[in-house]
Amino acid sequence: MKKLIFIVLSVFLVNAGMAQSQVTGTVTASEDGSPIPYAVVLLKGSRGVGTNTDADGRYSLSNIPSDGVLVFSYVGYKTQEIPVAGRTVINVEMATDALALDEVIVVAYGTSTKGTYTGAASVVKADALRNASTASFENVMGGKVAGLQVTTLSGQAGSTSAIRVRGIGSMNASNEPLYVVDGVPVISGNVSQLSDEIYTTNNVMNTINPNDIESITVLKDAAASALYGSRAANGVIVITTKQGKQGKPVINFKASVGLTPSFATDNFEVAPIEQQLEMYYENFWNAGVYYEGLTPEEASADACAAFNKRFSKHGYIMSAPDNTVNSLTITGDRAGRYYNWDSVLFRTEVYQTYDLSVSGATETSNYYTSFSYANDIGRTTVNNFDRITGRINFSQEVGKFIEFASNINISSSRKKGFNDTRSMQSNYFMQSRNVLWPLYWPTDIATGEPWTARYGSYALNPVFQNEQFDNNSKTFRVMANESVTVKILPELFLKSIFSYDNTQVNDHLYYSPLHYYGAATTGEITETSTKINKLVSSTTLNFNKEVALKHNIGVLLGWEAEKNQTDYQQAIGTNLPTSALHTVATAGQLDASAYYWGNTILSMLSRAEYNYDDKYYGSASFRRDGSSRLGSNTRWGNFWSLAASWRIDKEPFMDNVPVISGLRLRASYGVNGTLPSANYGWRSLTSYTSKYMELPGSAVSTIADANLSWETSYTSNIALEFGLFEQRISGSLEFFNRNSKDLLQDVPVSLVTGFSSTLKNVGEINNRGLEFELYGDILRKSSFTWSAGLTASHVKSTVTKLYGGQDIVWYDPTGGDARGKFIYTEGESTLALYGLEWAGVEDETGKNLWFLNNDETPDLMVDGRPATYEFRNASQVIIGDVHPFLFGGVNTSLGWQGLTLSLNFSYKLGGQTYDNVSKDVNEDGYYWERMMSQDCYDNRWTPENKDALYPMRIAIDLEDALQKSSRHMHPADYLRLKSITLGYDLPGNIVNKLKISGARVYFNGANLMTLAAWKVYDPEVNEYGTRGYELPLGKTYTFGIEASF
Amino acid sequence: MKKIKILLTVLCVALLASCEDFLDVKPSNYAAAETSITNATDAKVAVNGLMRKMTSSSYYGRNFVIYGDAKGGDFAVRSQGRGLDYYYSFNHTATNINNSGSGFWTQLYNNILQANNLIMNIEKIEEAGDGTTALSGYKGQALTARALMYFDLVRLYGKPYNLDKTSYGVPLILEPLDAADQPTRATVEEVYEQILNDLADAAPLLSKSVLKGFLNYYANKAIEARVHMFMDNFTSALAAAEEVITSGKYTLYANDDWVDSWSSEFGSESIFELAIYPAEADLGSSSLGYYLLRLNIVSGASGWFMASNYFLERLGEDPTDVRWGIMDYDETSPTRFGSCLKYTGVDLKGDKGTSASAVNVKVIRLSEIYLLAAEAALKIPTPDKVKAATYLNAIRKRAPALDPATDATITLDMIVEERSKELFMEGHRFFDLIRLNRSIEFNDEFIDPAVLIPHRDKIIDRTFLKIVLPIPQEELDANPAIASQQNSGY
Repeated sequence: MKKLIFIVLSVFLVNAGMAQSQVTGTVTASEDGSPIPYAVVLLKGSRGVGTNTDADGRYSLSNIPSDGVLVFSYVGYKTQEIPVAGRTVINVEMATDALALDEVIVVAYGTSTKGTYTGAASVVKADALRNASTASFENVMGGKVAGLQVTTLSGQAGSTSAIRVRGIGSMNASNEPLYVVDGVPVISGNVSQLSDEIYTTNNVMNTINPNDIESITVLKDAAASALYGSRAANGVIVITTKQGKQGKPVINFKASVGLTPSFATDNFEVAPIEQQLEMYYENFWNAGVYYEGLTPEEASADACAAFNKRFSKHGYIMSAPDNTVNSLTITGDRAGRYYNWDSVLFRTEVYQTYDLSVSGATETSNYYTSFSYANDIGRTTVNNFDRITGRINFSQEVGKFIEFASNINISSSRKKGFNDTRSMQSNYFMQSRNVLWPLYWPTDIATGEPWTARYGSYALNPVFQNEQFDNNSKTFRVMANESVTVKILPELFLKSIFSYDNTQVNDHLYYSPLHYYGAATTGEITETSTKINKLVSSTTLNFNKEVALKHNIGVLLGWEAEKNQTDYQQAIGTNLPTSALHTVATAGQLDASAYYWGNTILSMLSRAEYNYDDKYYGSASFRRDGSSRLGSNTRWGNFWSLAASWRIDKEPFMDNVPVISGLRLRASYGVNGTLPSANYGWRSLTSYTSKYMELPGSAVSTIADANLSWETSYTSNIALEFGLFEQRISGSLEFFNRNSKDLLQDVPVSLVTGFSSTLKNVGEINNRGLEFELYGDILRKSSFTWSAGLTASHVKSTVTKLYGGQDIVWYDPTGGDARGKFIYTEGESTLALYGLEWAGVEDETGKNLWFLNNDETPDLMVDGRPATYEFRNASQVIIGDVHPFLFGGVNTSLGWQGLTLSLNFSYKLGGQTYDNVSKDVNEDGYYWERMMSQDCYDNRWTPENKDALYPMRIAIDLEDALQKSSRHMHPADYLRLKSITLGYDLPGNIVNKLKISGARVYFNGANLMTLAAWKVYDPEVNEYGTRGYELPLGKTYTFGIEASF
Repeated sequence: MKKIKILLTVLCVALLASCEDFLDVKPSNYAAAETSITNATDAKVAVNGLMRKMTSSSYYGRNFVIYGDAKGGDFAVRSQGRGLDYYYSFNHTATNINNSGSGFWTQLYNNILQANNLIMNIEKIEEAGDGTTALSGYKGQALTARALMYFDLVRLYGKPYNLDKTSYGVPLILEPLDAADQPTRATVEEVYEQILNDLADAAPLLSKSVLKGFLNYYANKAIEARVHMFMDNFTSALAAAEEVITSGKYTLYANDDWVDSWSSEFGSESIFELAIYPAEADLGSSSLGYYLLRLNIVSGASGWFMASNYFLERLGEDPTDVRWGIMDYDETSPTRFGSCLKYTGVDLKGDKGTSASAVNVKVIRLSEIYLLAAEAALKIPTPDKVKAATYLNAIRKRAPALDPATDATITLDMIVEERSKELFMEGHRFFDLIRLNRSIEFNDEFIDPAVLIPHRDKIIDRTFLKIVLPIPQEELDANPAIASQQNSGY
């Protein structure tokens, strides 16, 4: 904060004038000798004496005392203090330092510098975002910040990501961090109402153009985030957009095109048709011979009959003359020809972006404007995303004391999605892997007309159905953020921000009368309009003063009010007259709904900071929040933090340790909170959704606890930051411990009450962990540079208290098909997988074996443990933990003669993933009419392969498919080359000839290499560690050019 | 500077004063539960809501109706895995959320809460001296609905009254509970007593006019007749049934009208019919009617359930039986008429002419009451075979080629078979056979490829433990007090 004021003041305050001589010089960058414009040059200890370098890096200061000390600083470079020592010319070479301790970072309600900030915060700079190969900046952050986990929910263009800062702190309320853009909390997450209908998400953060972002700060501990109070327990993502720089206007143009021709890894690859047929036959044959006691002739006849009943109408006839699989023969009109559904379902994804920005600044004003267009033609043939954004950031000083700033972002995006969940009718990925046999054709062999009926397993003909279906989600967002800063005294300023964030989403869903879903209603069209409004008004008073040169005091006081309201309207039309008009206006029958919901928060906030001699730092913050989401008894909550840090490197005794160039210890403790997700969770309500005979109908709908309260997190944090060899190697080691208490739980209640659960503040969770960041400038020659960084995080996330000590069994909510089963048990992980313990397959019989885990009489012993053939006899236990032991990233960057090569890896070690796809594509014969995976074919039990991983396939009702068991759990370890970028900055002589100031061409590859412990599917799974039918990630090859004028 | 200070002070004061108002954000589409029923209009809205809840897919809207037939031997499944086939295969377990049958428990107790809340609030208004005839009518409906729901619950979860009435029934809840309450099971007998009390309390409050879509006095009496039948109180059952029959409010369908009656709402036989309108409880392609259609006869029809050979043979006693008119050929062959169109109408346009899925459920029809009366007349201490034959023949005439019953020829079997023919697909067969202590034979042989049923024998009777559903595991977990009261066999 103090630094900011210095910088601001230095730009415009008139030199007070009290010293002797003029000093001039040039500031250049040490790596290439290029001048550094706009670097700040200050006289130490004297307020207001300072200047900026000009476009050529030159500066001039007059009246400088000959024994003074000049301080040279510039963002991204190491600050230097140089005694004047009577000189009149001082030329300075500044060294870059990605983790410089003096780097300005944007934090809660202001800025700080890395070396003085007492909280735990990590910064991702614009450089890391500039090569993004997706529309979302969130995906780029993974592996770059210790303690931050980014999981991608789907490979669909335009989908949401899940971000977890330091583990999981809540069972019921949100685990998503708070997003703050240019100082104001904003709307985040999925905004599509379509997700209820077809399970596709629309990430509102995609409305921000990654190229507009200057930096992203992740606030991790209580000291950093407690000032955001009741919304900050899950961390805060602080996004700062770009500003102009003084000098000539800079015009920047960028264009890129990314191609995704394939998935990043194998994903449940399908066995070839010949093997599918073999399994189909074998399935029935086994059931007949081994279970029903039929002769091979009878069993073979059954198998062929089952096949022919299903497939003869598609032109295939099965026979097996010698009644074994060896003589399996397919005849029929289409024999030998198979349909390639992949060519219908998938294509090469093409992602294009075009960005144009103009920025500049004068002494009193600063502007950054940009316009961008992005277009993503998705991997699946129905998925598209496009986006237009425009931004104006403008600030103007009016007189000496007042500055107005205005940041406006307007964006419009459009997404067409498809069902990402386990849907045989409409999920392309599932269809391609499980239900669309190459024996099905889009045309009816008998008539030549499109096949309109369902195939087996409810599969629909996508060629026909997609003509009868349309959806899109249009998002229009305006973020307008107006602030005024009044400099009341040099030490005191008042800042008032008013922000209006308005997101309008129009979801459109259409099914023609010929579509499977539209047939019952003779066509159906749904138009949903959601307007999400967030109004934030905050006013803060900042006081900063240096007393007696060594005591620095900073105080912040403020209040904030926030109002959120979402207006919802939906119109549904059925009985459509024609498939040409996709509008409710023409529908024979209309149904409509409209209502609104929302909440308010009112806060008072304060912070005090003190440092002594830039050596000892202390800070404290206090915030009081009141929320409409809680009843009047519990509405107000107090959140606070205490923090301190010690610059050990500045102590005299460190002078003898030249190896250590930086050493800092910091510690913090604080309290922040999480509000219930539900706006009205504390109110017992009567709903009016039970209409009857076109009359209104009411019903008691909740059983509420009027004293519902905050979830509260108590976080302590200790960190050691270090720099070695003149900061050539730098890093930090950080320990945190977060106790989250009064967690909301859907406490199960007797169903006889009429409800299954009620929300109560009862649970407790502990997250503790270690984070390690290391960065090294390995080579720093002018011609060749090599740097490398590493982040590693270990988080132990444990449920410590539950209502009445009772376990809670729960399911991964993603997609609504109970894809992973978990249990909350005191003392166990927050992501403890729960199910039966599979004991493998019996060699002789090919039967599944299960460890009993109870006192029932065992059928046999496996590995010395009691086991059974019958899964019903076995008990469920905790079978694994999704949390990895270690996760993070490895980044390295090489530079030579304008060429840069950087590689970003992300990794996960330890932990499990749960596979909810193999219950369909690698199961034991229950779904006899489905296709199976290559994994299933290769590893199933047959009389020839008795040492098999998976059991015999047999078409009887085993019900194994519905069980959750360790059979479907796999190690999560992986290492992935998330991105590789090769860039080339055109040399100065060429650039000059082109009359431009800079140009760069680059190639970026995303997900090009993956090493995984379990290779059947992509190891990057969702936040619950489960793999379902969401579209997997692809390998993306992006080519781009960038030029500035 | 001063101005700013003043401004700040004013701001702060204004802010604090309006704090609590600013923070009191009420929902726009919900009312506070405590104050939502304060007069007759509110009570009517709550009665509407209660009826709607009874049309839930977990109750009369689908599952309860299918349950009574899928387990009774008159049904077969074409193929497993299409949905609800675990009723047929008796593959229910307490723990597996997919086939525990817990929807009945959950939905019915939620419905009972609505009834209890309505009764409690009406009594509050009455205690304050503001009672009206309309209000007591609504209370009568709530009491009658509660009686019907307990009757259905106790048959799903408790042993038959005439087998072991001292065994566990279901928890008896007569007023809204707190979240912390952990009720335990009452005996079967206690539940039946409460059902009769509720019906008796409600009867004088109810309208005797025909009420479309709601409960009236005769619906109450019809339920009473059913309940007495299950308690072997044949005299009372006959009296209640005859009160309905002789009321003159309802008339049997003529043979010519019988098939068409399934294509219209609120026919002359409907004593209690729950309305299912589009955009209300309409389940679309998951509706009750669709569960009985032949695969792909309309888009979304999956061919879940079809008639068993036994039923077809029974109906086939008279090839001219008018009730063949509602049968369509099924997935197995164009000559096997095992698909029933009672819930779609023969023209597949439902009972409103617009939708094959938004079709009312005729919960109690006069035909059933005739057959109850016939059976009761045969079983009263001094059997009245003439009366029994008269009531039976009123229905039996729908098979014109069959000889009418006489006091000499009438048997219980004839009545039971007539119930099967007339009430097929209306949720009675299983409960009838269990009540009558008859064995149930299932008919899987004709299905090809074969369905394999490891969880029950081909023939079961009421000694089979799975004739009742398990108390759902969620209940046992949340309510330790009931954990030791699980039905044996689970």
